[in-house]
Amino acid sequence: MQTQSLDANQGVPAGAVSPEAPACFHCGTLCRGSIFQRNEKPFCCAGCLTVFELLTENGLSDFYQLGQSAGTRINPAPAGQFHYLDEPAVRERLVDFANDRLTRVTLHLPAIHCIACVWLLENLFRLNPGIGQSQVNFPRKEVAISFDNSQTKLSEVVSLLASLGYEPELRFSDLDTKPKRFASRRLWLQLGIAGFAFGNTMLFCIAHYLGLDTFSGPAFQKLVGLLSLGLAIPVVAYSAADYWRSAWVSLRQRLLNIDVPIAAGIAALFAQSTYEVVSGHGVGYFDSLAGLLFFLLCGKLFQQKTYDRLAFDRDYKSFFPLSVMRKTVRNEERVALAQLHLGDRLILRNGELIPADARLVEGPAVIDYSFVTGESEPVEKRAGDYLYSGGRQIGGAIEVETVKAVSQSYLTSLWNQEAFRKDEGARLNQLTNRYSQRFTKMVIAIALGAAVFWAWANPALSVKAFTSVLIVACPCALALAAPFALGTAQRVLARQNIFLKNPYVTETLADVDAVVFDKTGTLTAASAGSVTFHGAPLSETEERWLYSMTRHSTHPLPVRIGEAIARAHFPEPVCSFLETPGCGMEGSVAGHEIWMGSVAWLEGRGARPIGALRAEGGSPSPRPSPPGEGGTLPARGHLDADGLNGNPVCGSGVHVAIDGRYRGCYVLASALRPEADALITNLSPEYDLALLSGDNEKERHRFAHLFGADLHFNQSPLNKLAFIRQLQGAGKTVMMVGDGLNDAGALKQSDVGVAVVENIHAFSPASDVIMAAPMVPRLNDVLRFAKQSVRVVRASFLISLAYNVVGIAIAASGHLSPIVCAILMPVSSVTVVGFACGLTIWLGRRQGLGEPATQNNRAELEFGAPAEALT
Amino acid sequence: MNMNVETFKYDNRIVRAFAIATVVWGLVGFCAGLLAAIQLFWPEANLALQYTTFGRLRPLHTNAVIFAFVGNGMFTGIYYSLQRLCKARMFNDTLSWINFWGWQLIILSAAITLPLGLTTSKEYAELEWPIDLGITAVWVVFTVNLIGTIVKRREKHMYVAIWFYIATAITVALLHVVNSLAIPAGWFKSYSIYSGVQDALVQWWYGHNAVAFFLTTPYLGLMYYFLPKAAGRPVFSYRLSIIHFWALIFIYIWAGPHHLLYTALPDWAQSLGMVFSLMLIAPSWGGMLNGLLTLRGAWDKVRQEPMLKFMVVAVTAYGMATLEGPMLAIKSVNSLSHYTDWTIAHVHTGALGWNGFLTFSLLYWLFPRLYNTKLWSVKLANWHFWIALLGMMFYVVPMYWSGVTQGMMWKQFTKEGFMQYPNFLETVLQLVPMYRLRAIGGSLYIIGAFMMAYNLYRTAKAGQFVAEQEVQAPSLASQAAAHEEKHPWGHRWLEAKPVTMTVLALVAVLIGGLVEIIPMYLIKSNVPTITSVKPYTPLEVLGRDIYIREGCVGCHSQMVRPFRSETERYGEYSKSGEFIYDHPFLWGSKRTGPDLHRVGGKYPDAWHYNHMDDPGTTSPGSIMPRYPWLLTQKLDTNSLPARIAALRKVGVPYADGFENGPAQKDLQAQAAKVVTNLKFGTIETEPDKEIVALIAYLQRLGTDIKAQPAAPAPATTLTSTSH
Amino acid sequence: MSVIFLLIPLSIVIATAFLVAFIWSVRSGQYEDTCTPSMRLLLDEKRPEATKNLTPTRNEHER
Repeated sequence: MQTQSLDANQGVPAGAVSPEAPACFHCGTLCRGSIFQRNEKPFCCAGCLTVFELLTENGLSDFYQLGQSAGTRINPAPAGQFHYLDEPAVRERLVDFANDRLTRVTLHLPAIHCIACVWLLENLFRLNPGIGQSQVNFPRKEVAISFDNSQTKLSEVVSLLASLGYEPELRFSDLDTKPKRFASRRLWLQLGIAGFAFGNTMLFCIAHYLGLDTFSGPAFQKLVGLLSLGLAIPVVAYSAADYWRSAWVSLRQRLLNIDVPIAAGIAALFAQSTYEVVSGHGVGYFDSLAGLLFFLLCGKLFQQKTYDRLAFDRDYKSFFPLSVMRKTVRNEERVALAQLHLGDRLILRNGELIPADARLVEGPAVIDYSFVTGESEPVEKRAGDYLYSGGRQIGGAIEVETVKAVSQSYLTSLWNQEAFRKDEGARLNQLTNRYSQRFTKMVIAIALGAAVFWAWANPALSVKAFTSVLIVACPCALALAAPFALGTAQRVLARQNIFLKNPYVTETLADVDAVVFDKTGTLTAASAGSVTFHGAPLSETEERWLYSMTRHSTHPLPVRIGEAIARAHFPEPVCSFLETPGCGMEGSVAGHEIWMGSVAWLEGRGARPIGALRAEGGSPSPRPSPPGEGGTLPARGHLDADGLNGNPVCGSGVHVAIDGRYRGCYVLASALRPEADALITNLSPEYDLALLSGDNEKERHRFAHLFGADLHFNQSPLNKLAFIRQLQGAGKTVMMVGDGLNDAGALKQSDVGVAVVENIHAFSPASDVIMAAPMVPRLNDVLRFAKQSVRVVRASFLISLAYNVVGIAIAASGHLSPIVCAILMPVSSVTVVGFACGLTIWLGRRQGLGEPATQNNRAELEFGAPAEALT
Repeated sequence: MNMNVETFKYDNRIVRAFAIATVVWGLVGFCAGLLAAIQLFWPEANLALQYTTFGRLRPLHTNAVIFAFVGNGMFTGIYYSLQRLCKARMFNDTLSWINFWGWQLIILSAAITLPLGLTTSKEYAELEWPIDLGITAVWVVFTVNLIGTIVKRREKHMYVAIWFYIATAITVALLHVVNSLAIPAGWFKSYSIYSGVQDALVQWWYGHNAVAFFLTTPYLGLMYYFLPKAAGRPVFSYRLSIIHFWALIFIYIWAGPHHLLYTALPDWAQSLGMVFSLMLIAPSWGGMLNGLLTLRGAWDKVRQEPMLKFMVVAVTAYGMATLEGPMLAIKSVNSLSHYTDWTIAHVHTGALGWNGFLTFSLLYWLFPRLYNTKLWSVKLANWHFWIALLGMMFYVVPMYWSGVTQGMMWKQFTKEGFMQYPNFLETVLQLVPMYRLRAIGGSLYIIGAFMMAYNLYRTAKAGQFVAEQEVQAPSLASQAAAHEEKHPWGHRWLEAKPVTMTVLALVAVLIGGLVEIIPMYLIKSNVPTITSVKPYTPLEVLGRDIYIREGCVGCHSQMVRPFRSETERYGEYSKSGEFIYDHPFLWGSKRTGPDLHRVGGKYPDAWHYNHMDDPGTTSPGSIMPRYPWLLTQKLDTNSLPARIAALRKVGVPYADGFENGPAQKDLQAQAAKVVTNLKFGTIETEPDKEIVALIAYLQRLGTDIKAQPAAPAPATTLTSTSH
Repeated sequence: MSVIFLLIPLSIVIATAFLVAFIWSVRSGQYEDTCTPSMRLLLDEKRPEATKNLTPTRNEHER
């Protein structure tokens, strides 16, 4: 396990490098370049050498016998890297337990990989006297260290570990995992007691099966009966405690959950057995009672383990599609939220979300907390103030330093927040709630019926039938099939960079029968290379100004312009930056007023475009346009296809004015997405399609053969909203596919709002689905997959129903012993859930959604800008 | 100055002491075993001494091998591994040495009393009551030392081996106390307070659990410590070891009845024993698989390391024995194998294979470390391995062969419905060649053991003993305990002194409770179901004690099973009611000689006289040794009053004051009658010889059931037995 | 056969004692980590030589 090896900048080169480089004695990597020598053992870097000395000095040289070159490569950590750990606030969150004399901390060391590490980490008290007991948990790669406050500090302990090559991965967010361990411990205890009682009472009962009564008559039978009763009491009291409590809670709220019948069954069995033993009429069913609970608890443990495993990879990181620009010593790099560390410097542009509580470093910040608190009036913040995560920056880019770790779960909960909730839970969910109530009532009715019938026909069977009916009935499949199947579907899509807000979106996706497309950014692919400037050539400094302006906005057009003209420019600070959606942005760089946006907005601001540029009908500009497509000047905001030299490039332009004087416009050519035609053609038979676009009529003919009548241009966001409401009025389930920025309202109104994003840095809460641009052509597969997932849920309902009907019938007939029921019940619920998840995954693979998105791999998308733009 | 790192020393002296004792007593036990084996085909090998005759030699061998060899081996392993697992020195050094010297004293006393015939005749519990008390005291000392060390440990987690040691300490204490309950009738004579069927059940409840908790659980603990150490890799699945330990312990109380299948035990108890034994396969094989699978990937080490060779065979033998055991416990298989040598083969697969080989591997691993040197000769150790393995094969295979031959011959019927081999001697003569092969196997095993002893001696000589091994470890207190389970009932409560208190209290309560409850319980409920069964006469009581002293139970059983083959050969099958005055029961577990429960009245007194003097004369070719001293030694009658009083205390309804006068007169009268009978067979002897009492007892065996119930038999006065 | 009235309750007492031991062991977290103890077992052989910067503290009841 080697981290990237840093080139050893200094060190004592010892002799010529042997042709085949020797392996470092400490960590086993081949030492290229200079080799460090210490009592004729080669070392690849100073780090390994220092660790070797440290160990040998402290008598820990056995480390090298235990594991062959078991050390890990050490990159020399800058001094004081862990000082921040000593701050009480941070320290409090990391430490398990602390009193004035002693502190105990559990650290996660990913570098633990062999017995030598366990040995070394459990002998830490030799290296730092302050450390007392250190205990390694190998499977979890954790070490629990208790140290004496007076002799050493947390930062010293952590830097010692780092110096040995075991740098701890400091995770602040997983404090909630601790209590889970105690819960499972309680389950193990209950299981142990139930097993103990089941084992012993079963042996008593075997004595009865083998003809005990003939020999010793009542005396011994009484003893065995009383002992079984004695053993059954702890089982019923302690092992069944959870069932009693949940049954009691649900009864108090006068609704019946699935534990009520089980509790009733246990009570009945226990009561009857006690009566039989005390009155001496029989021997009671204590062995099947203990067995019943033993297998119920085994089922519960097994269920718990399978659900944990299923839920394991559903952690929130993969669902919250947001990356952020991080300032590093050399430049800025776009990183995913997961890579963020405490104390990182982030650059937030206009409209970007503050991922974690942070401190404002520089730049005037206007924070809009509408997303979090709902009130939309933005708040002024000065450098040094504390910013809460969830707010959005309005205006120029600001720089912040994170103080708290990123809490992904919090951000995702914002996404599912009330303000953006569509109609409450989908129909499937209502289905489960309604039926589970009725189901439990039905089960109890049948059980009572069976008991009464058998009491009349064959009394011995009545309790047995009553209990087994109660136990065998298992509505869990009803409650669990929907969330698990849809949850798996959500995860399958997430792996394809299609992020759903919550599992139930899949269900509405399945009901969609009308699809409305937005043109720009959805059906047309904005290819970066085709940004050209038309107008008076700009000087180097002016271009730099424009570049720094573009860096403050998240609108796709200025962002692409910024990337195109980035070259070696170094951004300058922009003050009083303001961006108005749908019009443009303005700000002043180094004292010059700069406006960028649509022509109409510039005219409104009094920037007189130079006469020639203004000419109608796209007359050629006097000066030759710079290389590239070039072509005539835009007549109005947008170049239409025929205006250019014939190739079907259409694009949108961003007009620039410096200090009030119009200077020209950037034209961004965008072509139709490659498989867009194929997508539309195979969508059209099943769905009514429509295209809404804010642009002018220019491109009508290109889409006419695809969309037929439903073509609407020059649609303002309000028109789009009205169109969708009108469609919904006609009883259609509408899916709106747009770039989620200027048509947020329409997305919110539609049943399923799909926001197509080029690189996920902007985040529009109004959408239900965030889809990566390259996946748009696969929309048809996604819809079909959603339909199949819903069909899987219905299938599992049917299976569960069949199981229950058959199970209850046999149980009512008295042939099924409670123990067998106790085994059947957990097995049935696990198989139904397993069936639901497994089938969904298999269907996903059949739709070609199986293997992760290859053409633009996840990491690259996670980092936002397409690969080649990364410096 | 580091306040929470403590320096302490492991005590290796006690380990060395126990290791040496293991080797020494091992050799003694093996030699006793070999001598007994030789006597089985060459009776004259008893050196014409009563002290080395088979009857007295067999208990000496079993006690020497179990308590001395395996006992010391277990203590060696526990004292070495416990200190390292707990990272602490033993709780108290004096207790350790009391444990050591006490245990050796017990073995010595056994080596003296058993050849003298001072035995209770209850298998693996033959030692008389003073030694039993000694065993209990030493065992409590060991338990306190064990629990004390655990409480004082510096390693929070208790490795699974420690749990096995605790189980051994607690359960063996209980078993030993319950099974050794007896009323003394003299310094080295006592009568078990249970009788007949009760005694049988308690004995085999102890018998099986002694095998389990003395020969298996501690050795599983040793396996879990020494096998991973030698293989250099962690145990295959630590979780499996925990599960199979608790599974074993939770339901282990039910073992025992499978030793008494088809005997006078009630039918449901027998079937229960069978079902339970079949359930034992799972935990036992859990242990074996865990052990063997630990070696995955390290099998080449087994080639070089002799210690690992022994360990692998030990674990495999454990697997075989624990599968064969439950199979033997199935009633249909048991009907063939019970009382035959098949049981001996099963015992020795476990003993030679599991206990023997594991102790050898333990010693080969330990001596080089105790003496901080290499093993003197690895080649010699490998030789020992192959010879011992061969020895084991030569022991076990002939025994399987003879076991099945015996079983089949006893049950063989001719076409006409008569027994194929009516004379029991024919079956015995058939087995003599197999006994010879078994003796060869035994001697090979001993040769291997001597090679080991020499090898270890040279290793010790070459090395330099490391008495105290200094180690450093942070104390557990340095770990903030407060964060643990807040439950007051958690770690803190157990750490304090009361732990040792509870252990002592438990033992005290057990002894106190049992002594009061039992007599009251047993006497009241012991109504004789068969009216014609009467207590033994004084002469027969002394005769029975001679039967016990000579260890006749080692070859003869007194339990005719309800099979046609046995009722044809011996007579009416034995009923549980016939044994209610048998303190202790003498059902026996091996039939090298015929069953004696219906021998009363079958042969004239003179035949017995000549037969005891020289069995070869009355049954040519018999492998029964001669008992000439019975004809000459005077019967010790002055111990009679104490014995009668003791028997009355355990529930035999002798009239009050019977032992002061009438008992002696009755004895003389019956002796005189026997002498007159002998005269008919032209044999002259005085009435005060031991043979007279023995003949009286033998003639009484199994005759009560034939006596006509009509004969007036008031319980108080005793009728003279019919001839 | 009435001795079984003694044997079974006695055995139940012992079995319950082990049940209590089981409960204590689970509560006191003996089984939180069921993998490292089997590795830690292999480590007690390694005797680090006496180290100079550690002044060993004489533990009172250790000889």
